[in-house]
Amino acid sequence: MAASCALLGAGAHSQEPSGTQKDDSLLDRLLEGVSFDSALAYYREDGRIQAIEPVVNVSKTFADGEVATLNVTFDSLSGASPNGALPGNVPQTFASPSGKSLTTGRHLYTIAPGQLPADPNYQDDRIAVSGNWDLPLSRLTRLSLGSKISGEDDFVSVSVNASIAQDFNDKNTTLALGLNNEFDSLRPIGGAPVPDSDYAAFDKNGNKTKDGVGVLLSLTQVMTRRWLTEFSLSWDRFHGYLNDPYKITSVLDSAGNTTGYVYESRPDERTRKSAYFENRVAFGQMSAGLSLRYMEDDWQIHSDTAQAHLHWSFANRERYLEPTVRWYRQTAAAFYTPWITTEERSSIGNQASDSRLGAFHAFTYGVKYAHKLSDAAGLAGSEFSVRLEYYQQIQDHRLAAPEPLQGLDLYPGLKAILVQFGWRF
Amino acid sequence: MRTRHFFLCFTLGVTVHMSGCAAFGVRPWDRDLMARDEMRLDANPVDAAIDEHMYFSKEASSGGRSYAGGGCGCN
Repeated sequence: MAASCALLGAGAHSQEPSGTQKDDSLLDRLLEGVSFDSALAYYREDGRIQAIEPVVNVSKTFADGEVATLNVTFDSLSGASPNGALPGNVPQTFASPSGKSLTTGRHLYTIAPGQLPADPNYQDDRIAVSGNWDLPLSRLTRLSLGSKISGEDDFVSVSVNASIAQDFNDKNTTLALGLNNEFDSLRPIGGAPVPDSDYAAFDKNGNKTKDGVGVLLSLTQVMTRRWLTEFSLSWDRFHGYLNDPYKITSVLDSAGNTTGYVYESRPDERTRKSAYFENRVAFGQMSAGLSLRYMEDDWQIHSDTAQAHLHWSFANRERYLEPTVRWYRQTAAAFYTPWITTEERSSIGNQASDSRLGAFHAFTYGVKYAHKLSDAAGLAGSEFSVRLEYYQQIQDHRLAAPEPLQGLDLYPGLKAILVQFGWRF
Repeated sequence: MRTRHFFLCFTLGVTVHMSGCAAFGVRPWDRDLMARDEMRLDANPVDAAIDEHMYFSKEASSGGRSYAGGGCGCN
C-alpha cells in the first residue's frame, strides 16, 4: 500500500516543472523531522513590572537519531521595579541608576508617603539564544551538548553544558549526568555600586563578573505501564559579584526615622543543593503530574516546592485542558533584613532587604487549553493553546514596624498574572 | 532539621528508584500510555521555560530538574 502511494505520488510530481519538483523535495527534506514550538507570553505584576516574551523553539530529528534544537527568546520588561527601600511617612527622593545626585538632575523620582519605593523608569530588553545537539553514541547511550547566550542592556551570560545518558533495563531506566558552566558579565547602568556603600555617595566602580558551575544527576524510571518517575540531584556554585546592583536598604535611627540608604551587600559565593522528584501517571483520557523539590544553600535559604497538574484530553484527543497548582515556600537568607539601624551600620556585614531573599510562601494557579487542528484545516498536527496563570507571594518575615512606620504596608507581597498564547506543530 | 529533610527526601527517592530499577518497568509492547505526548517529562518545554524565568526572577530558588543558572533577575 505504501509502495503504491509512493508510486502514485511520483506520477503526480512528474507532471510538474522539474524546478518545482526539486524545490519541493528540498523543502520536504528540510522540514522532515522538524518540530516547531512557539509562544507569546504577557506577564504583569500588580502595580510593578510588566513583560512581553515571545519564544521560538525549533528542533530537527535526523535519520541517524541526532536531534538539533534551537531556542530564541526575547523579553521586553518595563514598569516600576522596587528598589528595596521601605515605605516612609514622608516623601522620599531617589535617583535612577544613571543618576549622579539625589538633589539635582533629571533622573530623580519621589515616592509619596506610604508607597513602596520603586523606580518608575525601569526598562530592560533581553535576547537569549540557546542550541542543543543530542546524539546517540550507541543504542543505549546518548550525549547532549548545549550552549546558551543571553544579553541584556546591563548583563551578558554565556553558558555551556554537556550530559550523558545511559539506558538500562530494557530502556525502563535512564541514568544521566550533566555539567554546566556559566560566565556572566554585569555592566550595571551607572556602574556597579560598592557593596554596603552609602547610596547618596554614588560610589560605583565599573563592571563586574560572576561565574558558576553546576552538576545534575538524574534517574528516570518507568515504574508501571501507567507510571513514570524521575529523581534528580543538583549542585551548583556561583562566585563573584552576586549583588543586585539596583537594590538598597533603608537605614533607620533609634526612633525609627529613615536617615539614609546603603547598597545591599551579599556574600560573593553561593552554593546550592537540590533534590527533585517528579511523577507522571496516566489513567483513561487523563494523566496527572506531581513534582516535589527541596533546595538549600549556604546563605541559609531552604525552600520547598510542590506542583501538580491534571491533563484531561477530550474530543477524540484533539483538545485538552490542563489545570495546574503550585505551592512554594522559602526561609530567609541569613543576611536578609528589611532595614538596618544606624547602630548596626558599621558592624552588620552582609545585608540585603531584597524581599526575594526574605521568608515567604507563594501560590500559582493556572490553566491551559489546547486545540489540535484536524487535517481538514490544512494545518494538520498544529496545536494552538492559551494558558493563564495567577501568582501570589505572601511575605512571612515580618518584624514589628518602628513607631514612625506603623500603619504602613512594609511587606506588600506580590500578585502577578501570566497570559500565554502558543502554537506548535 | 532542614538537612534531615534533605536526606529524608534523598533516601526516599533513592530507595524507590533503586528498588524500582529491577522490579519495575514494562515490556516494549506495553508502552502505549508512555508514548503519549503528555507523559513526556519535557512535554511542554516552552511553558516550562517561561515559568522558570518567572520563578527565577521572583524567588531565591531555581533549577531542580535542570541547571539552576545564575542569571540577573534584576527587577
